[in-house]
Amino acid sequence: MQPFGSIRELVNVGADAIMLYFKGESLDEANDACQTWLKAIDAKRAVTCPISSEAATASVINSHSGTNALAIKSTDNWSWLVECVVSYDSMLLVFNVEAIDSHGVYLALSQLANDIHYEQVDSDGGKNKSALELGSPSEHSSKCKVIPVWYGAPNANDLREVSEKTSLSVDDIIALHTSVEYKVYAVGFAPGFAYMGDVPEALQCARLSTPRKRVPKGAVALADRQTAVYPSESPGGWNLLGLTPLEMVLHGSDAGSSLLKAGDRVKFKAISEEEFKRFHEN
Amino acid sequence: MKIEIKNKGLLSLVVDGGRQGRQREGFCQSGPMDTEAYSWANFLAFNLDNTPCIEAIGEVTLDVDSPCVIAVTGRNVTLTVNGIEQPTYASVRVNACDEIKFGSQTLGSKSYLAIGGGWNVPLVAGSACTVMREKLGGLTNDGRPLTFGDHIEISANNVVNVKGVTRERVLPKAFQPDYQRDKPISVIPGYQFEAFSRAAQQLFVSSRYTVSSSIDRMGYRLEGPGVSSTITAMRSEAIHTGAIQIPPDGQPIVMMRDRQTLGGYPKLGCVSPVDLNRLAQAVPGEHIHFTFQDHEAARADMLLSINRLRTLQGNLL
Repeated sequence: MQPFGSIRELVNVGADAIMLYFKGESLDEANDACQTWLKAIDAKRAVTCPISSEAATASVINSHSGTNALAIKSTDNWSWLVECVVSYDSMLLVFNVEAIDSHGVYLALSQLANDIHYEQVDSDGGKNKSALELGSPSEHSSKCKVIPVWYGAPNANDLREVSEKTSLSVDDIIALHTSVEYKVYAVGFAPGFAYMGDVPEALQCARLSTPRKRVPKGAVALADRQTAVYPSESPGGWNLLGLTPLEMVLHGSDAGSSLLKAGDRVKFKAISEEEFKRFHEN
Repeated sequence: MKIEIKNKGLLSLVVDGGRQGRQREGFCQSGPMDTEAYSWANFLAFNLDNTPCIEAIGEVTLDVDSPCVIAVTGRNVTLTVNGIEQPTYASVRVNACDEIKFGSQTLGSKSYLAIGGGWNVPLVAGSACTVMREKLGGLTNDGRPLTFGDHIEISANNVVNVKGVTRERVLPKAFQPDYQRDKPISVIPGYQFEAFSRAAQQLFVSSRYTVSSSIDRMGYRLEGPGVSSTITAMRSEAIHTGAIQIPPDGQPIVMMRDRQTLGGYPKLGCVSPVDLNRLAQAVPGEHIHFTFQDHEAARADMLLSINRLRTLQGNLL
């Protein structure tokens, strides 16, 4: 499959999926291209947010009627899409084999590339550049989410170790960590675990040599140029800076969804122990 | 009605079709390890697809407090009701206070118990699946497996009520899932396949691998000739069902239903979906071997198996 636009490579993965890899001068640029495509794909779908059980329901209905009605109208609204999983510079598209094959997916993608291109030309007032090449979708479309952190909370405190690794004072570490707006590159590993970057270079610090068996829920952590919040108690090898009282996985009715989504902008804000405790009381 | 767990076996979990469309938020796919057996269990118990079942390793005992229809499927499975042997891969009527005992005779293989009716269990991210690692799903929505004394509430099944189930469903032996292991497992080359040398690729398909004791719902670690790629570091990317990860020691790990959504090891390709159930039912010490298959042929196999399932179920309706 010939790549096009900001897609560097397309690879068949298994019987029912295609992997897209995006190009960019930097990881940030490749990730932007990835986010642009994700947004365009979400917009194509009738239901924007999580693909949900819609596809499952459709295939059940289909299996009972015994016809292939799904296939006929499927290519336009991308209802053949079962799963779309993005990471730093790649995207996995899993499709319903009864509704489409990899050639059909390729055609849908190239059609979508045109749509994105024209949309961008229009909104730029004729500036002849493709969104796929430029793409910084997140900057103008998503608000910055603020995560309050009780830095140095007793059960999530590697500030001294981080201080040794970076030669920064604890105050400087907090000041630096809260100084920049981070971008969510990817969500994965565990429900609601968002890989955010880039951490200021001075704060860059290696993982623990021995991972911890238990990192508490809500721990705000640092590894290399990335920062993250542990959504639930789990093992982990990142350096811990403190705790957030926020729930990273929202349990509404039967939904359950990640607070942070790929492409979100995030800032951390220092709060006191009292504020942290009050947060829980509310 | 209500069922009560008397003996949980080695590991019993509430599973359904799994969490679809939620991997982008970090929720693992989950779902039954053996989708074919799971699907048959529900069909034979007069349930719609995607109704929860119990996926069990070892022998499980439970009681029911009302008459209902059950079905047990899986590899080498047995079922007794009040100590009397009953057919598997068939609808079985049980009465109030009956004691149901089921399991697989192959230690480590999974068996599925479906009970006709709607299961009153919590849903998270659209599914009741128990994911121990993520601490979600299951009866108490904390990823806890079933244990002694657990109760599951099941509401009456409309199909059973309306039709009165005059005709039990039985899947003849010849049409039951095939778990033989001398047939090679198809692998569709993909992901970083090109980063493996021709020699490594050939070694992979010409060697015999042993299922190790490190197997769980996340992944199956195999032992055999090591294969390695030229890749030393790569960015984490989405891991598809059945993806074959090759960590630095060269021993393949086939990624299963509860795999993490993203990972950074090079991958050779993916096990064909139609062969993944067979692998999922293999147990430590058993041998398997692989063959490469084109992705179009693998898709055709998928379509054939879907069609076969529908035809069989249509004939039994």
